[in-house]
Amino acid sequence: MKRRTFTAMALAVTAGLGLSGCAGAAGTAPQAQDGKTTLTVSVWNYEGTPEFKALFDGYEASHPNVHIEPVDILADDYPQKVTTMLAGGDTTDVLTMKNVIDYARYANNGQLQEINNVVDSVGKDKLATLDAFDINGKYYAAPYRQDFWLLYYNKDLFKAAGIDDPKDLTWDKYAEIAKKLSGTSPDGKKVYGTYQHIWRSVVEAVSAAQNGKDQNSGDYSYFKDQYTMALDLQKSGATLDYATAKSQKTSYRTMFESGQAAMMPMGTWYIAGLLQAKKDGKTNVNWGLAPMPQKDSNGKVTTFGSPTAFAVNKNASHSDEARKFIEWAAGAEGAKAISKVGVVPALQDDAVTDAYFKLDGMPTDSLSKKAFAPDSTALEMPVSDKSAATDKILNQEHDLIMVGEKSVADGIAEMGKRVKSEVLGQ
Amino acid sequence: MTNMAEDLKAGPPAGPAPAPAPDGRRRPPVAGIGRRSSRERKKRTTDFIIYAVLAVLVVALMVPFIWMVSSSLKENNQVLTVPIQWIPSEFVWSNYTDIWTRIPMMGYLQNSLYLAVIITCLQVLTGSLAAYGFSKVRFPGRDVLFLCYIGTIAVPWQAYMVPQYIMMQNLGLTNSFNALILLQAFGAFGVFLMRQYYMTIPDELCEAARIDGLSEYGIWARVILPLSKPALASLALLTFVNTWNDYMGPFIYLTSNRLWTVQLGLRSFVGQFDAEYAMIMTGSVISVIPILAIFLIGQRYFIQGIATSGMKG
Amino acid sequence: MTTKTITPAAAPAAAPAPGRGNRKQARRNTLIGWTFILPNFLGFLAFTLIPVLAAFALSFMEWTSFSAPKWVGLANFQRMLASDSFWVALRNTVVYAIGHVPLTMALALLLAMLLNRKLKGIGFFRVAIFFPYITSLVAVAVVWNMLFSPDNGPINQFLHTIGIANAPGWTSSSDWALPAVIITSVWRDMGYYMVLYLAGLQAIPAELYEAAEVDGASAWQRFWNVTIPSLRPTTFFVVVMLTVSSFKVFDLIVVMTNGGPGRATTVLSQLIYQEGIGEGKFGYSSAISLVLFLIVLTVTVLQFKIQQRRER
Repeated sequence: MKRRTFTAMALAVTAGLGLSGCAGAAGTAPQAQDGKTTLTVSVWNYEGTPEFKALFDGYEASHPNVHIEPVDILADDYPQKVTTMLAGGDTTDVLTMKNVIDYARYANNGQLQEINNVVDSVGKDKLATLDAFDINGKYYAAPYRQDFWLLYYNKDLFKAAGIDDPKDLTWDKYAEIAKKLSGTSPDGKKVYGTYQHIWRSVVEAVSAAQNGKDQNSGDYSYFKDQYTMALDLQKSGATLDYATAKSQKTSYRTMFESGQAAMMPMGTWYIAGLLQAKKDGKTNVNWGLAPMPQKDSNGKVTTFGSPTAFAVNKNASHSDEARKFIEWAAGAEGAKAISKVGVVPALQDDAVTDAYFKLDGMPTDSLSKKAFAPDSTALEMPVSDKSAATDKILNQEHDLIMVGEKSVADGIAEMGKRVKSEVLGQ
Repeated sequence: MTNMAEDLKAGPPAGPAPAPAPDGRRRPPVAGIGRRSSRERKKRTTDFIIYAVLAVLVVALMVPFIWMVSSSLKENNQVLTVPIQWIPSEFVWSNYTDIWTRIPMMGYLQNSLYLAVIITCLQVLTGSLAAYGFSKVRFPGRDVLFLCYIGTIAVPWQAYMVPQYIMMQNLGLTNSFNALILLQAFGAFGVFLMRQYYMTIPDELCEAARIDGLSEYGIWARVILPLSKPALASLALLTFVNTWNDYMGPFIYLTSNRLWTVQLGLRSFVGQFDAEYAMIMTGSVISVIPILAIFLIGQRYFIQGIATSGMKG
Repeated sequence: MTTKTITPAAAPAAAPAPGRGNRKQARRNTLIGWTFILPNFLGFLAFTLIPVLAAFALSFMEWTSFSAPKWVGLANFQRMLASDSFWVALRNTVVYAIGHVPLTMALALLLAMLLNRKLKGIGFFRVAIFFPYITSLVAVAVVWNMLFSPDNGPINQFLHTIGIANAPGWTSSSDWALPAVIITSVWRDMGYYMVLYLAGLQAIPAELYEAAEVDGASAWQRFWNVTIPSLRPTTFFVVVMLTVSSFKVFDLIVVMTNGGPGRATTVLSQLIYQEGIGEGKFGYSSAISLVLFLIVLTVTVLQFKIQQRRER
């Protein structure tokens, strides 16, 4: 290397270091808003999650003295980043709780402020799954969004196979029609009667919810029926097999939107995505909603879901403003704002539900509406400091059962054994 | 300026590695006509075989990349189909125009480039300096210190990133490029790589230069550096690629969207429950281009080949 | 190192041989050595060494990252040794390293030798070998998983045609998932290490080969007696870096199998990540990383000693 080149390079580095103070080519630095309070809120994937923008715009419009600045974090590793930031003493005002497991950790470690008065003024009876946030009578977060699981189905495929809409399904009936719906479409594509995504909740959480069991208990015998059915479905070719779906990173959206799956148990978050895809002309699937299939045919609908909540950081720079924002976002105004973008609010209110079904492209049949009002919604995973460790073990054993390495009985026994010894310390 | 090293190479006292072969054992300068053509034919056959092997290899190595390109030309819900669809049913060229408006891709590219260039320059500069100290200067405690350097490479970043973050936060350095530059520019990787290369440069060259009155710094700049072009090129290339493709570091340290790098920008297409793989692959294809450019420039330094490198006997 | 054999004769006696002189000379050398090292060392000390030492200290404590750490002595290590998951991950990591290090090294060297020649379009081929390293991991995982597909993947179809009846289940089988991951990672990393070997090959004087050829050495002998010894410093680097990266392997496994099926491909750094930042047990995760550090350090020091002995 020529010495001159080297000197030039060294100079470039020095100049570069000096410059790096003024940084960031991807946009402009936030301007100070004169006279306004700037409230910071941690969010994930701000561009791809329209509910945040809907909430922030709505709040700013009704509170002209407040400016909200989202702290945009990638959805994939959101909890990791928030944990690291908090460890460093970060002063972001409002923290969005992506799931209840993280909530339990932050709350139990004293990282969040108690906000009982906020919850009280929104109305305890109105907020779905608020109980999940109760830690010894104290609430450290208020849910604003509540996703729960239901059954998506492709109306055209049902019609073509001459099968009635999936009303009052039991799991047995669900498996039976899934097999009937499987086959080849007129244009030669393989059609699966249903698509069960690879997440363990598809089998385990629903089973726990409908049997009224606790997934941290260490006893998993009640998973048996659900696993037997899931394995039978993939063996008969009524659903894409787990190993392929996992290794090919199969997208549930692709399965449903391309008409490859006639049914699909999935969460309500997908409604917004589906509406958008149809609006953009990326799919022409004729879809409807039905309640989750049930264990018994007693007419009651039990499903599971998980809430998303806002909390106030212990080190928040604007605690009072943060509380006010949460009160608004979890309340009726916030609920209205997010249901406009197809997101299901935690606030349960007939007016809100009606508004939701008026969304452009939303199916309006009575079955879809019924699917939207389950009799009870259990938590996907209990709020507990044990949940993260249990979740890991259940995931690993779920994997083994679904690829056929372990029998259902062995897998379930192993789950119990490992959770008892590794998590519960028995 | 001519290279000091070139002079030294020719200088007899520094006569390096292999004892010069006695003239009698040298191959005659002019080979017989017949022999040459047979050698040429042999060379052509080997070349042909090598080309054939390389061609097969290239195909085997490019398959996932081809999938990447194919996916970047699909609608998002056509990417992860079962079975794999190699040729898009409909070419969605608009992905390549949309990506610039969907995310501030240009800005992200600039940020990545800025970080990668600064970090690479610092790494090469400080690494090659320190490597000289570790390989050509003898002082007590040198090897222990060196093992210390290597040892820290073995500690996974996941283990110390939180203590490190707390430290940086207290220094007020988080959410800035400076944080990443300081963290990544002084790694042990460059020191280790350059030290190992310097070990292959004969000490006699340094000795001769000392006799000629060069200071240690002069030896480093005028003897060692010019001789280590291939190593500098590979260090620069690998550092650039690693910085360019780094995800976790920028993710933890760069919070403001305007500071984000390409890798963060691409991950922003991953939502809570699904991902826009068509866009991710489009962005990945675009982000490979700068690396290719750097590689094509850098690999010229490997091209000297056996015939011209090293010392003349 | 090949050159060392003649060093004593070649080094002029009058030259200030470093380190061998009087005390003043030694002090001067120390000073000079440190001035070279200092620019890098300061940054290294402040931003890497101190946090690493802090993490090691944490391995004797309980820390959730939110509150003050609490001293617990060896409790984390006791828990680790009693944990099934730790042993599974350690075993997987070691097996991965044993497969990954020698294979990658051999192939990288082979490729470097193949590409270290003047040939039209050689630049293109060099870039192509480097491609796997810069291809998006998602693409790598999806395509390799397709190739490994148990029933209709090309690899198993090939195995069927050559008469292997029970072709392995690869990534969907506990026994074969790790080999599948190793193959993929060797494929991915060999271009990276090829670059290092390519640089190393440049430093071998052509005369060594010429002299060997004149002596009538075969191609194999030239490789064994000239190339290999001359590359020793590069090989040391490659072995250490490969060992380190094998023990720290994370991204590829997360994307390709996510540790599955079950725990068949779970590795130590995944455990460190899950226990630490995933579950907030930073003391415990630091304890695991201390163990990982000690293993790699042992391997490195051993290699270092062997290399030093050879140099003498």
